Amino acid sequence: MQNSIDKNAGMNKSLGTSKISSESFITICMLAVLVLLFGIACLFVPNFYFAQNIINLVTNSWYIIVLGIGVTFLLVTGNFDMSVSGIIAMSGVMSVYLSQAATNSRSVLNNGLGMPYVWVIIIPLIASLAIGAINAFFVTKLKVASIIVTLGTMAVARGIAQVITTGSQRNTNLPEIFGKLGNITVVGSIKLAVFIMILFVIIAVLIEKRTVFGRRTYLIGANIQAARLSGVNVEKHVTILYLTSALLAGIVGVLLSSEYISGSSSRAMGLEFDALVIVLLGGTSIAGGFGSVSGAVIGALILSVVTSSATGLLLRPEWQFILKGAVTFIAIIAQRYALDRRKI
Amino acid sequence: MKINKNKSEQMKQPGTDSWKTIVKGSFVFVLLIIVVVILSVVKQDAGGIFSRGHFLNWDGSIVNLLRNSVPIVTICGGFTLLIISGYIDLSVGSTLSLSAVIYAIMLLNGFGFFVAFILTLIFGGVLGFINGFLVTKLRITPVIATLITLSLYKGIARLLVAPGVRAIESGGGKTMPDWINNYGRTEFLKLDLPLAFFVAIAVIVILVILQKKSVLGKYSVAIGGNKLAAKLSGINVDKIVWILYILVGVLCALAAIARASYMSLGDPAAGEGMELDVIIAVLLGGTVFAGGEGSITKSVAGAFIIMCLTSGLMTVLQPYWQLFLKGTVLVLAVTLNSLLVKEKAVI
Repeated sequence: MQNSIDKNAGMNKSLGTSKISSESFITICMLAVLVLLFGIACLFVPNFYFAQNIINLVTNSWYIIVLGIGVTFLLVTGNFDMSVSGIIAMSGVMSVYLSQAATNSRSVLNNGLGMPYVWVIIIPLIASLAIGAINAFFVTKLKVASIIVTLGTMAVARGIAQVITTGSQRNTNLPEIFGKLGNITVVGSIKLAVFIMILFVIIAVLIEKRTVFGRRTYLIGANIQAARLSGVNVEKHVTILYLTSALLAGIVGVLLSSEYISGSSSRAMGLEFDALVIVLLGGTSIAGGFGSVSGAVIGALILSVVTSSATGLLLRPEWQFILKGAVTFIAIIAQRYALDRRKI
Repeated sequence: MKINKNKSEQMKQPGTDSWKTIVKGSFVFVLLIIVVVILSVVKQDAGGIFSRGHFLNWDGSIVNLLRNSVPIVTICGGFTLLIISGYIDLSVGSTLSLSAVIYAIMLLNGFGFFVAFILTLIFGGVLGFINGFLVTKLRITPVIATLITLSLYKGIARLLVAPGVRAIESGGGKTMPDWINNYGRTEFLKLDLPLAFFVAIAVIVILVILQKKSVLGKYSVAIGGNKLAAKLSGINVDKIVWILYILVGVLCALAAIARASYMSLGDPAAGEGMELDVIIAVLLGGTVFAGGEGSITKSVAGAFIIMCLTSGLMTVLQPYWQLFLKGTVLVLAVTLNSLLVKEKAVI
């Protein structure tokens, strides 16, 4: 009885035996893996140990960590969200289109809607929420497999981006204010977006560990019937999660297109897979009911170490696909092995 | 607490919902006819680049459409069987790409047609074998397992192509043999359609016979319907599922040969997005993703719908509308699908 009460109590040690929760165990294990990989990289990859490189590992992962927050919560409930990359492209392209001056030039890609900056941010976010709402509707009301529906909404969102940009990108006629948000540096050369990411992560971890909403998320994932019978409104809860995930992706899209001062229909291509990879690396189980945002952060750092090592070793960029697949595979097998051994 | 709405449906007398069964059974064919009719009525010119005139023009668009639909038709049969058994393979696009690259490499290096053909099929089988291994022996969720192989195969396919070159093609001293187009592009025996098309039809016929008459088909339905019951009834679930994954792999390789032959090169992006198309085709055909029921012929009809939409719409709209429309079709197909089935479950 004592063990089961303390099982989900985070880092608390129970009287007698020192058992930390399974989530924290996995997080610590993956942290060890990160340190190990980092050490190996420092040995073999030239210039890896420079401070700037280490800082880059974190700052270059900001957008995938923000995505990882939404995907983690959803995966804990047993649902996928593959539409995030499409939302990034869509909201980015929309913000550019809204911001472009309303000229009448012959090239269609030069003409925008010339709206005030506040709408340039808000409207794409509303559009992202709409996509999230569609996701939520199909998953909760029609009970469709989330991976199928979110693949569909991903195509819809990215398709919208492609239509607005006629298949390429929009980057002309933009007012100066457009590039500010994504390029403001706060400390040294670290952009504002990184601090937004840190803020979101702190909020997410607090929600996950300390709020009823967080605990209910895990309950839904672990045993959906028990959640329903305990009075949790599962549909509403999952809807909120999908809306949040879509909103986060929308924010990322707006920030990225501000940073690059362009809206590209092919931005963040394949990023939904990367987001899933870091969440899995972080220990979130696809069976649901298990996982944490802090794990996703570590997963993102692991992925960052792996990919920048590959670049540093001058491997061809195509190796990244193989490495991501291999790393995910090893992580899944290793986590299952570690958890099985622990229960014995 | 909401009472499960489905319970009241299940308690209906058998036979009273026969109209629903008829609609469910035939709607995909009706849909196909509707799509073809709409597309032949709308014959706008789009910048003069695409094939003009009637959509139902045999020598122009229809032959092209049938030729282009060879890969998806080839794959969707086996894919349907896999979905019926409750499993999924998201790596079909990458398997196709990698097999196409391997085939092209073999041809470029002087392998004969039959040798290259058989070897590529075996290679596809190996790729499917790996999928099956991950899912049945290592017990990794099919979604994650096939996402992993999707990434792996995509990376290998791209790595096999020299940096800077887009695909495996004639150049650098080696050329593709003249007969490369004979399988997937040139007319077979004056019938206007390539050999690959007839092979695809033959594959479908064989698979339909397998589905309806053979043990493999019945076991797939059993496993999809209730895996535990199937296992307890003595069905070797792991073996059947493994076989299905290998089958899908071989079919992907077959489709890859057709595609490579059609384009005269091995393109590592050949199968990009193929999984989306196949899933849409199967969904339109009414196969339930929870498994337990489905039909190959209907999936083929669904495949033709998707092909009509993509190539038919090319004559009317600019290509950058395609992704948006595919996504919308998928979402609509998903809605249709869920409205027509009683039991809903998640993968």
